[in-house]
Order: sequence, then structure tokens, then C-alpha cells
Amino acid sequence: MLKVENVKKAFGAATVLDGVNLTVSPGEVVSILGSSGSGKSTLIRCINGLEKLNGGRIAIDDFDVAKPKELAEARKRSATVFQLFNLYPHMTTLQNIALAPVEVLKRPRAEVEQEARALLASVGLSDKVDAYPAHLSGGQRQRVGICRALAMKPRYLLLDEVTSALDPEMTAEVLAILAKLAREGTTMLFVTHEVEFARQISNRIVFLDKGVLLVDLPTEEFFAASGGLAQPRIAQFLSKMKKD
Amino acid sequence: MQFDLTILGPYLGFLGQGAVLTAVICLLSLAGAVVLGMLVAIARTSQTAWIRRLAFIYVDVFRNIPFIVQLFFFYYGLPEIGIYIDAITTGVIALSIAGGAYASDAIRSGILAIDNGILEAAEVSGLSKRITFTRIVLPIALRTSVRPLGSVLINMILTSSILSTITVNELTGQAKIVASDTFRPFEVYAVLLVVYAALTWLVSIGISHLHKHLNRDLASEAA
Ligand SMILES: Nc1ncnc2c1ncn2[C@@H]1O[C@H](COP(=O)(O)OP(=O)(O)OP(=O)(O)O)[C@@H](O)[C@H]1O
Ligand SMILES: [Mg+2]
Repeated sequence: MLKVENVKKAFGAATVLDGVNLTVSPGEVVSILGSSGSGKSTLIRCINGLEKLNGGRIAIDDFDVAKPKELAEARKRSATVFQLFNLYPHMTTLQNIALAPVEVLKRPRAEVEQEARALLASVGLSDKVDAYPAHLSGGQRQRVGICRALAMKPRYLLLDEVTSALDPEMTAEVLAILAKLAREGTTMLFVTHEVEFARQISNRIVFLDKGVLLVDLPTEEFFAASGGLAQPRIAQFLSKMKKD
Repeated sequence: MQFDLTILGPYLGFLGQGAVLTAVICLLSLAGAVVLGMLVAIARTSQTAWIRRLAFIYVDVFRNIPFIVQLFFFYYGLPEIGIYIDAITTGVIALSIAGGAYASDAIRSGILAIDNGILEAAEVSGLSKRITFTRIVLPIALRTSVRPLGSVLINMILTSSILSTITVNELTGQAKIVASDTFRPFEVYAVLLVVYAALTWLVSIGISHLHKHLNRDLASEAA
């Protein structure tokens, strides 16, 4: 289980996360919605250990990310896909994918590369094995980013607005892959502005508002008039997203 | 007096030897400077304050002392305290140390220019600091600092002529000998001017190609 318990995070005087609680169980897809600046990215960055907590606790399969020794274990169990891909520019797609499994998990290179090729094939990039990131489209880069994360065989996949930098066509090709992963039972914590897509793939939806987790509801209930929509902030957010 | 290059004919092989020595010294010194520059660039980002300070002092000091003074200190000064090093080795060491100060700047800016997102991706995937540095940071930084490192090399070629003052018979040293043998300093140094200009010109073309070659796949990572 991925457990976020009463997490507080501040940058200077600004409180960005204010007592957030969240649990993600294996097999679940949980989407995080919320307006810009509500703390969604910060929450993901706290979970993958890029930000230090000011209070509370985050544990991935009981490994506490605040403890350096346990963080290494926690990071083996989770993987992050980034908004701006963050591929290693001097490496081919294959090298990008194989680096961490070989160096961190100490797995044999031949085996890792074979899996990497299979992953690339599964996202329609068989012909880009030896291509460098600069020679790929945004959508292709993000598909490589997803493969790089999956190559670590993470128990939890963290995704932070992975389609925000893409045009609609590329967004569709990346979302199709995420939908497939969701169907296959990949556990995902998914920050997005794609409300409709979140509705299709999520088991649960949580809503962050100014660092506070307003609701945590099964998807159906979140969109029900008596559920999430009963909260004015959420109704306002959803109607605004529809207009955009 | 007539300008007559033919009188240099018999000395071409001799001058060529000097040019080869210049090339060897500069390449060795470049290697030394890059290794030193790398270590110093790492030291300058160290968590430990005194290591950072030491690296900073090194860069500052060696950039603010005339090369000839550094050289004389190594060659004439050190024997006074019992350290004897032959002239060519002294030259390579001095050029490496002086070049290292500049190389560290070039490599450091290459390191600082790396997109933070890339480093975060490496960190989150669990890569150790060492692997991140050797497999990601350094290769990117070295690629992007090819041009400034090229300037360091060119400066080194020019500065290496000063080694003639400590009896190293590199290109300028040999030319001095030829000039005094033939009593034709005008022709000798005219040729030397052209040779150095040609040498640095060729090197800078080579560097441009190397830069293009190494960075062909490194175009902007943004969508
Ligand atoms: N490193 C930082 N230093 C200072 N303030 C920060 C830092 N990172 C985030 N913040 C602030 O924290 C708040 C939450 O930021 P965060 O990026 O988590 O929001 P978000 O919900 O992901 O927004 P968006 O939808 O625009 O991505 C913002 O007000 C932001 O300015
Ligand atoms: Mg964000």
C-alpha cells in the first residue's frame, strides 16, 4: 500500500499541503484533480522523495520515504512519469529505459534490453529503439517516458500531468496507453486535468484544494450530484474544466 | 636584405620535430587539464565547505598569475626545496594546472546547464549519485563544453611557446635555435607566425566538427 498520512509541506511561509491523507492499494487507479497551485505536483514530489515533508508520514509498502535507507526501497517500488518527459538526451530510447533496471536493480543487461524492446513494441515504438529523444515527437517521448518507468516494474506508477505538454493528437496516443495499463491492473496515482479521462479509468478520485484534500470518493460518487458535486468548489472546478 | 625562405629548407625537419613536441605536450596537457578540471568542477559542487573553498582558491589563483611566473616557480623554484622535475614534464604539469583552472569553468557551466528535471528523473529512479554523475551529468557536460574546452586547447598551444624559456625545444624553442644558427630571424619568425596561426585555425575547425558530431543527438529536449 501507498500511504500518505497527515502530510504537511510548506515552502517558506506558504503552506502547500495541509494535512493530506491518502491511501492507494495495489490494483487501484486514483486520480488527483484540483486547480492550478492546489499542491498536486508537490504531493507527487513528496511521495517520490524529491521534497522533504514538514510533517506527517509517507510510506510505500511500509518503507518510509523520510528515512534515507528506506527511501531507496520505496523508490524501487514506485516510478514517476513526468510532464516534460525528462529523458536522458544523450541516450537512445533503449539506453534510457535500460539504465535504471541495470544499475539500480542490478539485473542482467541482455534480459533488461529484451524487455525494453518488448515495452517499446507495446507502445508502438519498435522502430525507435535506437533513436535519441531529440528525434522523437512529444508523444513518442512520453511513451518512452512511460516505458522507462514500467521497466522498473514498479508497484505504483506516479504520473504528473503527463499529457499537458502534448497536442490533442499526441495526448490521445498517450492516454490510450494509460487506459490499457489501467485495464491490465497497473496501480496508478494520476495527476491530471483530463477530467473525462480520469472518470473513465479511475477507481477513485481525490480533489485537492489549496493543499487540503477535500474529498476522496469512488469515481461514480465523485461525479454524482449528491457526492463530489455537492461541494461548491468541486462543482465550480468541473464546470470550469468543461468550458475550457 | 632579401626575404628568402629557401634558406630554411635544411631546417624543416628540425622545426617539424619542434611542432611534434608542441603537439604532444599540448595533448598531454589537455588531458591533464580536463581531468583536473573535472575534479575541480566536482569539488566546487561538493557538500563540504573546505573542499569547495579549496577548489575555488585554485581556480582563482591560477587564473590570476602570469603563466611564465608559474612555470619559473616550478622549474627554478622547486629545486630549491629539493624537487627536481625535467623541463618537459614541468611544462606539461604547469600547462595542465593552468589549463585545469579554465577547463573546470567550462565543465562546471556544462554541469550547471543540465536540466534539473533530468537529474530528478535519475534520482527518483534510484540511481546513485555516482552513477548519475558518471553516466548522465559528465557525458552531457563534456558534450556541451566541447567548444570552451577547445578554447582551452588553443590557449594551450599558444602558451606552450613559453616553455621555450625553460629549455623545452618545442616549436618556438627550435625556431629560436634556427634563428640564431642562420642569422635570419625575420624569415624564421615569419614562418613561425604562419605555423601557429594555421595550427590554431585547424584545431578550431576540428573542434567545431567534434562539437557538431557529439551534439548531433542532443538538440533541445522540449516538445
Ligand atoms: N519549490 C518551490 N518553492 C516555492 N514554492 C513552490 C515550490 N514548488 C511549488 N510551490 C508552490 O506550491 C504551490 C503548489 O504547487 P504545485 O506545483 O504543487 O501545484 P499544482 O497543483 O501541481 O499546480 P498545476 O496544476 O499548475 O501543476 C504553488 O503555489 C507553487 O507556487
Ligand atoms: Mg503540477
